[in-house]
Amino acid sequence: MFDVFIDQFWQLTFSGISLGFIYVLIALGYTMVYGVLRMINFANSEIFMWGTFGAIVASRDLFKYTQTSDPVTGPKLVLVLVVQLFAAMAFAGLVAVLVEFVAYRRLRARGTNRLATLISAIGMSIVLSEVMRLLTASRPVGSPRILEKIILTEIWGAQIRLDTLITILAAGAIFIILERFVKLSRMGKAIRAVSMNEDAAKLMGINLNRVITVTFLVGGLATGAAAFFYVTVYEYTKFNIGFTMGLAAFTAAVLGGIGNIRGAFFGGIALGLAEVYAASILGTQWKSVTIFIILVLVLLFKPSGLFGEAVTQTRA
Amino acid sequence: MNKKIKASAAIVAALALSLGAFAATSASAATKTYTLAYQGPLSGGEASTGTDEQNGVKYAIKVWEAANPGIKINLVSVDDEGDPAVASKVAPGVGANKKIIGLVGPAYSGATIASLPYYKAGNLTVISPSATRVSLTDPKSPTVKSDYGRPIFHRVVATDDKQGPALAKFATKGIASAKVFVFDDQSSYAVPLRGYVEAAIKKISTASLVGTGDSVINTTTDYSPTIAKIKTSGANVVIYTGYYSAAAIFIKQLRDSGSTAVFAGGDGVFNQEFAKLAGKSGEGALLTGVAGLADVDATIEADFKAKIGVSSGVYAVESIDAANIFLSGIKNGKTTRAAMNKWVKAYNFKGIAGATIKFNQHGDISEGGFAGFLVTGGKLVNKGPVA
Repeated sequence: MFDVFIDQFWQLTFSGISLGFIYVLIALGYTMVYGVLRMINFANSEIFMWGTFGAIVASRDLFKYTQTSDPVTGPKLVLVLVVQLFAAMAFAGLVAVLVEFVAYRRLRARGTNRLATLISAIGMSIVLSEVMRLLTASRPVGSPRILEKIILTEIWGAQIRLDTLITILAAGAIFIILERFVKLSRMGKAIRAVSMNEDAAKLMGINLNRVITVTFLVGGLATGAAAFFYVTVYEYTKFNIGFTMGLAAFTAAVLGGIGNIRGAFFGGIALGLAEVYAASILGTQWKSVTIFIILVLVLLFKPSGLFGEAVTQTRA
Repeated sequence: MNKKIKASAAIVAALALSLGAFAATSASAATKTYTLAYQGPLSGGEASTGTDEQNGVKYAIKVWEAANPGIKINLVSVDDEGDPAVASKVAPGVGANKKIIGLVGPAYSGATIASLPYYKAGNLTVISPSATRVSLTDPKSPTVKSDYGRPIFHRVVATDDKQGPALAKFATKGIASAKVFVFDDQSSYAVPLRGYVEAAIKKISTASLVGTGDSVINTTTDYSPTIAKIKTSGANVVIYTGYYSAAAIFIKQLRDSGSTAVFAGGDGVFNQEFAKLAGKSGEGALLTGVAGLADVDATIEADFKAKIGVSSGVYAVESIDAANIFLSGIKNGKTTRAAMNKWVKAYNFKGIAGATIKFNQHGDISEGGFAGFLVTGGKLVNKGPVA
């Protein structure tokens, strides 16, 4: 039962962390919006899915790479990857802002209850995934291989692969940038002010609509970055991938304490590791069962999530 | 509703009525119309399979209508998304719609099981081009009795108890000591097929099962735990029972991990999209499946492309054969459900691939089997029947 776990421990750990970083960035999308609006943006999973298509549109339609073209090398590799990253972030950011504008703003202005916004969010998520389904005729879309997946070195039997290493480093960097933005910038302060007390923030002259738009944008950008890493590592997307990834990231956000940026970080990494460990010990069919048992246990003993305590200080 | 809207609504309604009446009279005067149905996944994640099959049915109807002026076939599309839950919602309406005298499909076994009670109640004959689960035609099926489809269920495809051994044999062929790791995608197609594959591996003297196997739902994109298991087990052959899109994601990750183990999959993976999505990692993959239309007859394939606008896809041959059985029934005046059922039960003609189509009492065909395919240069190359 434990032979695979022991034999491949470091490999599993490395894979789990790299998967975890993708969850972290998507979880940011959930947690940012929740922090400000006290509302789960269920459309975030589809914002992620649209982001993956952004990355593929860049490599396939802009740079004209195909499924059979050779991986890119040299300075051009950096260019293509950066353009892909920006395309994914732009797609996701744009969709996120659009979602806010179409589905939430008017409801908020009319002062409807949270349930209406929640239904509206679910509606948006169905619209986004169905539109993509029609655009792609329900078919899975493969991404051209841009980055050669070189095995750089082996540490304790774990292959350190270029794409997963880049994911960990770059996703980590993006996380830190966003966290600093919320913590230190003027806009970040406004976001936190709205999160703490909407009415007081309004009285201080903070433009509420602008803050909310920026929150959605930042959440969308983080989710878009996750979409880029996802495409680079798994080279695949489909109109319905949002659901699984979104659910996992949402779980990560709740695990860490939703509304809390650092919570999203630790929740994401913990979830990535828990997934691969559970799958290797019990079999992949037990993966979801294990994760949700962990989630239920955490919430039973600490309803605000692992980092719930610190909410007032670091809340997004 | 104000007066203006009311008035215009009345005009529109009157116009629609007169047009409808006109269409109805002109149709009944010149041609007779009969209704058939196709059921399969036409939307959702598996829509590629259903669309391909329905195109086969549409092609058969087009060809047949050209040869039989005066009779029109109305094809009803029944979308079950390949999902038993959806199938159980759409099937009652189809079963109750007496205009439908025959149904090609359902495409997937799980959806078939969910639909069967309604079709049995309505005595609607169905011929599936692709539902391969054994219990559908096995009266001694270990699962619940409702799986057994007699007297209305038929299929023009061989079953998984034949595919399992074929896949095991094809995957381990020419390997002196095959250490085989088998895993499935948790679907009602893949789990039993995995059982047949594993049973067959045990019977092959040069092959043995290694590791614990795995069961990975097909919405997964990260296969690192499964790959870790494959590495620990020391397998040199990996067999996957599941569908093509997940298989393509998996094979990329397996190859990227440095593994050179042989990869083999069943007819769920057997799809041109697999080779396309997997790219270079898919090269050398061994798949069992049924020969495509282009393999069977290049001229029919060219005609297909001209009439439908796209190349034929998976199960095109089976879909055309299934549609042709109903169409020949209509030609012979079997235009009620009861008459159609008798016609299908007694059917004994050659299909377009040349094999005789004749159903046994359980609804299975006697001839027909699986061929082995090798992915080379991004194409699925037919390596002949695996017997």
